[in-house]
Amino acid sequence: MSHRERIERALEIIERSDLNAFITVDHEGARRQAEEADAGKIDGELAGVAVAIKDAISTKGLRTTCASKMLEHYVPPYDAFVIRRLRAEGAVLIGKTNMDEFSMGASTETSFFGPCKNPWDINRVPGGSSGGSAASVAAYEADLALGSDTGGSIRCPASFCGVVGLKPTYGRVSRSGLISYGNSLEQIGPIARKVKECATLFEVIAGHDPADSTSLNQPVPRYVKSLADDITGLKIGVPIDFFGEGVDPAVENATRDAIDVLVDLGAQALEISMPSLKYALSAYYVQAMSEASSNLARYCGIVYGHRVQKDHDWHRTFSEDRASGFGREVKRRVLLGTYALSAGYYDKYYLKALKARTLIMADFQRAFQQHDVLIAPTMPHVAFKLGEKIEDPLALYKVDINTVPVNLANVPALSIPCGEKGRLPIGMQIIGDQLKETLLFNVAWQFEHNTKFNKYAE
Amino acid sequence: MIIKNDVEYIARLACIELDDEDLQEFTIQLNTILEYFEELDDVEAELTNEEEGNVLRADNITPSLSQQEALSNAPRVDSGYFRGPRIL
Repeated sequence: MSHRERIERALEIIERSDLNAFITVDHEGARRQAEEADAGKIDGELAGVAVAIKDAISTKGLRTTCASKMLEHYVPPYDAFVIRRLRAEGAVLIGKTNMDEFSMGASTETSFFGPCKNPWDINRVPGGSSGGSAASVAAYEADLALGSDTGGSIRCPASFCGVVGLKPTYGRVSRSGLISYGNSLEQIGPIARKVKECATLFEVIAGHDPADSTSLNQPVPRYVKSLADDITGLKIGVPIDFFGEGVDPAVENATRDAIDVLVDLGAQALEISMPSLKYALSAYYVQAMSEASSNLARYCGIVYGHRVQKDHDWHRTFSEDRASGFGREVKRRVLLGTYALSAGYYDKYYLKALKARTLIMADFQRAFQQHDVLIAPTMPHVAFKLGEKIEDPLALYKVDINTVPVNLANVPALSIPCGEKGRLPIGMQIIGDQLKETLLFNVAWQFEHNTKFNKYAE
Repeated sequence: MIIKNDVEYIARLACIELDDEDLQEFTIQLNTILEYFEELDDVEAELTNEEEGNVLRADNITPSLSQQEALSNAPRVDSGYFRGPRIL
């Protein structure tokens, strides 16, 4: 089959789909890029491969909305660093995926363009915020996808949709062209059906970019070369703090069984405790909301974005633009972040959150002195029903309990399928020390090849 | 515990206009969430100063957006400028 035929098939699946995984499908551009791949114009690592892009990542000439009314008609005049990398390797950018507005959510229900659905059960959420990216890959609407992960936004939907997703080490992937939410926490990362494909996409997007001053100037290893390495003697830490209150016993059992599989393959596992994690959820939300309130200050409807066409003084104009351009969750987080940074409250919230982050980082450092990887459930439960949590913001924040510590500690984590409850996938995350992605892919590949939990593996 | 007036003040700082219904709803929700954040009160730690130093680069001139590109998403443009609300 030619690349053009394969892309045509993916476009047909998207047309017939009722998942609402895409905000914008680029039929014309995808066909053209596929034809270029067929003609052999670019003989890259991803020639002719259909990649879906989270709509928070800037694509030149292709509408990028962040799932917000504020950016409903925004067309970026430049490509994100990762998009330039994909184009250079011949990838076909098939479309922009649905997400929680400005990446704020764990269910892809806060999108201005309507919720995305879970391919395994249409009445359930796909997870979020990169829900459209994970759902499109799970439903063969794309081969691969890019998401972004500020507090779990790649791993959560990967877990709920039964696919593989990596949150990279902070600084491993350039954030240039990613629309900022919480910039000290977030990374762009790959989503794929299988571990090897995930590693291949990661090799393409990882690397140094002078345009992002937090990007690391370190060589990028060939991740795919080490996938089949022996894991005999691997030391696994099992932090009991990730198995606490609210974790579904089915999820706990699946994760523990998965660890037993790795032990059978020669690894050693030991339970550990990371007491500072009890502060992680609050520390994460205070910091992310504070950064959001500052990052989203740029949306005033003058240079780009939604503008109410009325002439008032500047304060009233901006306030009306923002009132009608932002959805409720975005407003909630901007208000809370503004409060946490305001005079008199900075020490009580923001400074305490920074201190908690220091303690959490120290807990991870201690853990990695004695263990090569940590393994824990990605999410406390399987995908929940659409509408189930959306009216209760705090309940929805709490589903991030196991994913946010990783962002606070700047370390990488890979979520892979490790079981199911009914027909719904369960995911576990393999967490490594900074820049240890090679080991994460290796452990994940060994698990995938010695079990049948990945529905997409041969 | 914050009250409606506090939320009104924060909304003004954040430049987000809220009507009475919004104020009611957000006051309740923000209180629930802020109450949860109070667990941070117990945190005691020295902030380790992991200052990486500034990341500097040479001040080379490289191509940037053209005027047309820079204005391409502006809701209101006037004679090659962004048109904002009046200041005075």
